[in-house]
Amino acid sequence: MLLYLHIPFCDSKCSYCAFNSYTHLHHRRARYMTQIVEQFLHDVEELQLPKAIFRTLFIGGGTPSTVDAALYERFFEVVRPYLAHDAEITTEANPNSATLTWLAQMRVLGVNRLSLGAQSFDEGKLTWLHRAHASHHIDEAVHAAYSAGIRNISIDLIYGTALDTPALLERDIERAFVLPISHLSAYALTIEEHTPFAATPQVARESLEMTQKLFEAIDAHGFAQYEISNFGTPSRHNLGYWEYAPYLGIGAGAVGRIAEHRRYTHTDVDAYIADPLYRTLEHLSPSDMRIEKILLGLRSRVGVDTALISDTSRIDALIEEGLAFVENNRLYAKSYLLADEIALFLE
Amino acid sequence: MQNIRNFSIIAHIDHGKSTLADRIIQECGSVSAREMTAQMMDTMEIEQERGITIKAQSVRLSYVKDGQPYILNLIDTPGHVDFSYEVSKSLASSDGALLIVDAAQGVEAQTLANVYLAMENNLEIIPVINKIDLPAAEPERVAEEIESSIGIDATDALLISAKTGIGIRALLDAIVERIPAPVGDPEAPTKAIIYDSWFDPYLGAVGLVRVFDGAISKGQQVKLMANGEVHQVLDLMYPHPLHRQKTTIINSGEIGIVIMGLKDVGSIKVGDTITDAKRPTAEPVGSYEPAKAFVFAGLYPIDTDKFEDMRDALDKLRLNDSSLSYEPETSIALGFGFRVGFLGMLHMEVVKERLEREYDLDLIATAPSVVYHVTLTNGEEVKVQNPSEMPEPNYITKIEEPYVKATVITPTDYLGNIITLLTNKRGMQLKMDYLNEKRVLLEYSIPLNEIVVDFYDTLKSTSKGYASFDYEASGYQEGDLVKLDVRVAGDIVDALSIIVPRSQSEQRGRALVSNMKELIPRQLFEVAVQASVGNKIIARETVKSMGKNVTAKCYGGDITRKRKLLEKQKAGKKRMKAIGKVNLPQEAFLSVLKMD
Ligand SMILES: Nc1nc2c(ncn2[C@@H]2O[C@H](COP(=O)(O)OP(=O)(O)OP(=O)(O)O)[C@@H](O)[C@H]2O)c(=O)[nH]1
Ligand SMILES: C[S@@+](CC[C@H](N)C(=O)[O-])C[C@H]1O[C@@H](n2cnc3c(N)ncnc32)[C@H](O)[C@@H]1O
Ligand code: SF4
Ligand SMILES: [Mg+2]
Repeated sequence: MLLYLHIPFCDSKCSYCAFNSYTHLHHRRARYMTQIVEQFLHDVEELQLPKAIFRTLFIGGGTPSTVDAALYERFFEVVRPYLAHDAEITTEANPNSATLTWLAQMRVLGVNRLSLGAQSFDEGKLTWLHRAHASHHIDEAVHAAYSAGIRNISIDLIYGTALDTPALLERDIERAFVLPISHLSAYALTIEEHTPFAATPQVARESLEMTQKLFEAIDAHGFAQYEISNFGTPSRHNLGYWEYAPYLGIGAGAVGRIAEHRRYTHTDVDAYIADPLYRTLEHLSPSDMRIEKILLGLRSRVGVDTALISDTSRIDALIEEGLAFVENNRLYAKSYLLADEIALFLE
Repeated sequence: MQNIRNFSIIAHIDHGKSTLADRIIQECGSVSAREMTAQMMDTMEIEQERGITIKAQSVRLSYVKDGQPYILNLIDTPGHVDFSYEVSKSLASSDGALLIVDAAQGVEAQTLANVYLAMENNLEIIPVINKIDLPAAEPERVAEEIESSIGIDATDALLISAKTGIGIRALLDAIVERIPAPVGDPEAPTKAIIYDSWFDPYLGAVGLVRVFDGAISKGQQVKLMANGEVHQVLDLMYPHPLHRQKTTIINSGEIGIVIMGLKDVGSIKVGDTITDAKRPTAEPVGSYEPAKAFVFAGLYPIDTDKFEDMRDALDKLRLNDSSLSYEPETSIALGFGFRVGFLGMLHMEVVKERLEREYDLDLIATAPSVVYHVTLTNGEEVKVQNPSEMPEPNYITKIEEPYVKATVITPTDYLGNIITLLTNKRGMQLKMDYLNEKRVLLEYSIPLNEIVVDFYDTLKSTSKGYASFDYEASGYQEGDLVKLDVRVAGDIVDALSIIVPRSQSEQRGRALVSNMKELIPRQLFEVAVQASVGNKIIARETVKSMGKNVTAKCYGGDITRKRKLLEKQKAGKKRMKAIGKVNLPQEAFLSVLKMD
């Protein structure tokens, strides 16, 4: 099982971002951090979870580095018995708030992996994305994490924007690989509703040629692609989602899935603080789960059990056209770029 | 009977018939101010939405002139050429017609077509010039045009505005004065013509009649002369778009709705005569030609399981649209569906839209086709409604195609372009008359196939909307025609085949594949689109394969959202027809007839 903790606070809101996060609720942080403990204890009890069940913990956001490490202590205290001894423990962080002190303290609590939101090393692009940091903050944060003893480091980049040129992307990759990273995420800009960019959707501009060149450049640095946006030493947590592992979500707007139920908490921070045990359940039909497995499997190196696909002639057609291959009764997309289209074709 | 006036309102499209009907209904106080809406005779949703009349509607009104009460039975008719059958039916039960002409537009093609129908019925015609409120109105010029082109006296044409109400009172007085009262023998055996019928969910199948002789009374045993069936009259009503009024008798010269408790509208045939079962009339009133389908197209449910639902829907729709004809057909590409006969393209659009909307079906329509008369080498003559059923060339001695006599009226400014258009469409000029120095009437003999699809739109764009057009069937002529097939990913898609003149086959083939290329969305696979005549490929295009379809980020929190997005995309694809591995959108099926 996977464990996810959501931290819904940010220093500023980026132009593209639709994640559940708030910039004006910092005064609620302490209260929030006690309520997540309540929820965790309750959920563990309700689900009768055994010790050491979680093979990963992922602290995501929002911006986890906006919350003092001391406020995480109680959470780690209650969670620790339920974590496997070799659990992957990741925290997201932003370059402007991931200080050496914070990282070192988090390391002491058990964090062994960092996912840092770099987005780009180009100052113009960072400003345009409305990021709260400059490019040198990225270098500093990565080095700080390394000195703090966190050796599994990933950075996020965003591409497919109106500002991109082949040269800009090339420089971003060069800058990234100067740093001691073991993983890289490169996300094509997606226009989300209710974000500043939603008013100007044309800012998302992807050229297939540039994307392919980007993938090749990353590959040339020895980072293999294992999902449409992920390269390098795989994140066991994210791979777990694509493998369809069950997961528990803690915090405002955190989602979980246990067997055929997807569980949702309050997304509103105040509502969550008032009632951290509140839950709505979404029932997943066998067909929903089947579609999800196909969808997730094709976008990653996880692949899809061929038994899930009723019309085998469609598999044959894909193989014939060189779009997919089968190994040990699992179907894999040749290029993750077509994952959704292949899923539609198989449906 | 002396106080009854039966009349139809006829005109070219949009000259204001339905709006005038509103004013007349209002002036007669037949609806309250609160109930008044625009074009109230257009009771169907699709009529209101498109602002056009599709089905003729009757209303019985009361009017007082010089202290004398009168009954006015008004029929509002459609102006569009596809529905001219409705005009014929209406005129056959009228004693007069109001000929409406738009004061800014003047005489148009359907003005002429409809006035000739009225003349054939020997009706008193009152010319009415409408929209005089418009700044561009030229009532004197239009009156002259009516005289010169139609040959009727327009010196006392009425000048009105159906919008503002100017001249309505004078028009009503003229109706009373100039339209003759009905003639008929009240004592003779019942003789009434059914001029419309439909299915009412509460009353069942009902007939709308005009009584010529005798009367129809509640409780009477009546006979339908076409099939000899005898039924009892359960109820009688006067027609009205909002509130029908019950009555116990419909007298000689009147109109009314006859309710006999019938489930099947099939026995209430439009054009049939109703008479008394015990004391029948000697001769029926005389019947109309049933509406004849001009064009045929395949209609297929996208979801192949919906074939039976579609049959039910067509059966139900026919209850209110007797001009609809259909029979099951199968297509290799599209599965099971129906070949449906239509009065024209607008009729086709309306039927498809109603089936989809009112019966919740998703349909694919194939390109409409005319009926070819094909003589085979063994001397046999076959009728081909579906291009894919055209026999192989080596079995054919000759192919004949239907022609129409087309009438176009245009301002002289566009004459050159319109003649070029008609010539490109294989038209032969029969006549060219100047209505006055600014407007010309053209008559052409032209293959029906050429005007089926986009002719009307092209004519309108060629003339900035000023030219008008009407047509009537004019028999068959031999043509040098071939079947043009479309191959998608190598296989012939039978539903895309069309018949074209041999001389145009290459050019049409090229236009067709390049159109298709634009319409077929990129898919997982590269798709070759080819046009061929027999085994010869005459044009080819390739739809490149898709490069990317995947969302960048997908984590535990948004898997449900991603699944729903995928399902939405899937629903979008479902609206397309899967031909083998290729999804073809609806427009691809109609695009084969687009010329450019
Ligand atoms: N200015 C002006 N507009 C008018 C007048 N009469 C009708 N119209 C407008 O002309 C348009 C067509 O009117 P309709 O009454 O629907 O025309 P119709 O002849 O019934 O049309 P079809 O049934 O489709 O043949 C509408 O937009 C009316 O509002 C008029 O006297 N003056
Ligand atoms: C959960 S977010 C937040 C992490 C952290 N607060 C940060 O900004 O670095 C993780 C990553 O998702 C990516 N992301 C968020 N919204 C996106 C969008 N609309 N399009 C593409 N990538 C997006 C960004 O690269 C971001 O770093
Ligand atoms: S991208 Fe990160 S920092 Fe920016 S608003 Fe989203 S969660 Fe906050
Ligand atoms: Mg009308």
